[in-house]
Amino acid sequence: MKKIIALISCMFGLFVFMNYHEPQVNAAEKTYTIGTDVTFPPFVYANSNNKYVGIDMELIRSIAKKEGFKVDIKPIGFNAAVQSLSSGQIDGVIAGMTITDERRQKFDFSTPYYKSGIVMAVAPKGDVKSLKDLKGKKVAVKTGTAGATYANSIKDRYGFKTVTFDDSDNVYNDVKNGNSAACFDDSAVLNYGVKTGLGLKVVTKPTDIGSYGFAVEKGKNKELLSKFNSGLKKLKANGQYDKIIKKYTGESATASQKKANDKADSEGHTFIGLIKQNKSAILSGIFETIKLTVVSIICATVFGVLIGLLGVLPSKFARGASTTIIYIFRGLPLLVLALFIYNGVPSLTGSKVPAFIAGIITLTLNEGAYTAAFVKGGIQAVDPGQMEAARSLGLPFGRSMRKIILPQGIKIMIPSFINQFIITLKDTSILSIIGILELTQTGKIIIARNLEGFKIWTIIALIYLIIITVLTLLSKWVERRIND
Amino acid sequence: MKNLKVDVTDLKKNFGDNHVLKGIDFKVATNEVVVLIGPSGSGKSTLLRCLNRLEEPTSGKVVIDGNNISDPKTNIDQARENIGMVFQHFNLFNNLTVGQNVELAPVELGKMSKEEAVVAAKKLLNTVGLDDKYDAMPQSLSGGQKQRVAIARALAMNPDIMLFDEPTSALDPEMVGDVLAVMKDLAKKGMTMVVVTHEMGFAKEVADRVVFMADGKVMEEGKPEDVFDNPQNERTKTFLEKVINV
Ligand SMILES: Nc1ncnc2c1ncn2[C@@H]1O[C@H](COP(=O)(O)OP(=O)(O)OP(=O)(O)O)[C@@H](O)[C@H]1O
Ligand SMILES: [Mg+2]
Repeated sequence: MKKIIALISCMFGLFVFMNYHEPQVNAAEKTYTIGTDVTFPPFVYANSNNKYVGIDMELIRSIAKKEGFKVDIKPIGFNAAVQSLSSGQIDGVIAGMTITDERRQKFDFSTPYYKSGIVMAVAPKGDVKSLKDLKGKKVAVKTGTAGATYANSIKDRYGFKTVTFDDSDNVYNDVKNGNSAACFDDSAVLNYGVKTGLGLKVVTKPTDIGSYGFAVEKGKNKELLSKFNSGLKKLKANGQYDKIIKKYTGESATASQKKANDKADSEGHTFIGLIKQNKSAILSGIFETIKLTVVSIICATVFGVLIGLLGVLPSKFARGASTTIIYIFRGLPLLVLALFIYNGVPSLTGSKVPAFIAGIITLTLNEGAYTAAFVKGGIQAVDPGQMEAARSLGLPFGRSMRKIILPQGIKIMIPSFINQFIITLKDTSILSIIGILELTQTGKIIIARNLEGFKIWTIIALIYLIIITVLTLLSKWVERRIND
Repeated sequence: MKNLKVDVTDLKKNFGDNHVLKGIDFKVATNEVVVLIGPSGSGKSTLLRCLNRLEEPTSGKVVIDGNNISDPKTNIDQARENIGMVFQHFNLFNNLTVGQNVELAPVELGKMSKEEAVVAAKKLLNTVGLDDKYDAMPQSLSGGQKQRVAIARALAMNPDIMLFDEPTSALDPEMVGDVLAVMKDLAKKGMTMVVVTHEMGFAKEVADRVVFMADGKVMEEGKPEDVFDNPQNERTKTFLEKVINV
């Protein structure tokens, strides 16, 4: 028993060690963590080699080079990026973020690096041609974007309703399949999409809503902000800036991307083609998911068993503590817990938590609470006469527990353990919210590029089923070994 | 009475508002066999369980072999080593073989080495007529066999006193004899015993004293022939009529 615990703690320690990349502290070159949203072409997206490219990416990298610092790009999505910035988890955000008064309350912005406006796009065959045609219809927008703000500001005037999505892909699809009549997004984004074969058409002129800026937490990272500003000035002066913009919005750029998309259409429309194109991204997603699953199963089991045992001790205090812990962490939605640990706690304590560690803590607490509940239940399901008989012979409580009650309780618990392992695997997908590049997040990013929602989600779903099958077979094998 | 093994004074036990024991005085001498009888719910099991503190007394004093069991400062595990208990529903350890059931406590508590315990267990199983069941699992035994293993398990700790709580009332009638035979044998060897049972034949033959309880009080006690043939208390009379008329 002690050996197993020692082994488990060693493995855990190893995993933590493996996954904690100490940022390379170089006296000359400082590394800044930059959050972004990689589902936002042409500003940020993952190309077919799964490298993050786009106007924002090229700008920040060129500026870093000019000013002598390093960037660590975190593709955590727009919402999570903004939240992580407020909580100090990351140093800056560059994600096609429009500078607004509301955002100025919380962030300090660089000098604008791109002027933008909102346009409306509709399905080519639909009958919506202007804002007036939207009366009584639904409009799709992406959470937290300037497009969403604009749509909400005019929806009463034009009498439409908004539907919000987390990803651009879902927004476009909702319009394409006719659920929503139109969508609002930045003109550069939509024009880029239309030219590269998105399958929508833009029907309005850009509104004059403002400019994109690079953001840091208000009052902090002044140094980074001034480096960005001076770098941007240099890029504009030497013509590099114009080159970057042209590269991603010019006719030649969109034409070549469209050609790439068309090529992918002809050769890679099949499942096999899609898997081939995204092999390395999918594999690293699978690896990350398995790593998360294994580490959190181990930690949640140790935590759960300890809390469960606490719940059957004679001490009233111990039982109360166990019940409370189970109540809290079983009661909190996993999503809330993940965001609380990743964003909430650091904004209170001021120290960063790496996403992988935050993810493991989240799953350990949540899955551990469920484990504790069935461990407690399993022990209580053992006939109380067994404990009385052991105690009446003079065996102390702990020894009676270990020799008589636990061996019987564990047999009762095994099916619940297997069930909990499978749930843990599935719950790792929720950690995509804090930007961990596991299987689900990988799927989102691939779809943001190729818009093959149905096929990619089918592939991802099948991969989950395969992993779950392997996990189940493994657990059943262990179960048979224990029962013999 | 000299050589007091059990000395209970003014023992009270409440379960919430339910006053189950209402001031019990109860003594057992060394080598004495006492049979406890009384209607259902009168508190017989509760009294027995207070003797090894499976139930915490509400007030009063329980002294066994000079050890104040009711004192929270007493090392109860050590005291229990000398008090064997046999339950109505056997409570054999389901995860252990018959042999392991008997060997567990002496080995775990450092009374014997594993080898000594094996020898002792086989000998005990022999005395209860089950030497061929050493490797069996409890689930494969009949009720009577289980109860005899349970007695062997309690005896393995070499206790000074044995408590039996209706050891035969969960058994098929044809099994009862085997278990009672083991208990009679034990009594003959001079074991101090407190037995809750409805087996009047056993009481008449083996008991030195019969104690009749009702409503959480001792109503009457005496030699078996006196209590059974010439009961003084009205409650005893009605109880015995009912039991004998069944
Ligand atoms: N753990 C407990 N919690 C609450 N009440 C209890 C508990 N144990 C016993 N009682 C109550 O105490 C009373 C006496 O029970 P006890 O088991 O001592 O009776 P008994 O004389 O052994 O009866 P029987 O012949 O049915 O075994 C009953 O009313 C019972 O409901
Ligand atoms: Mg009883």
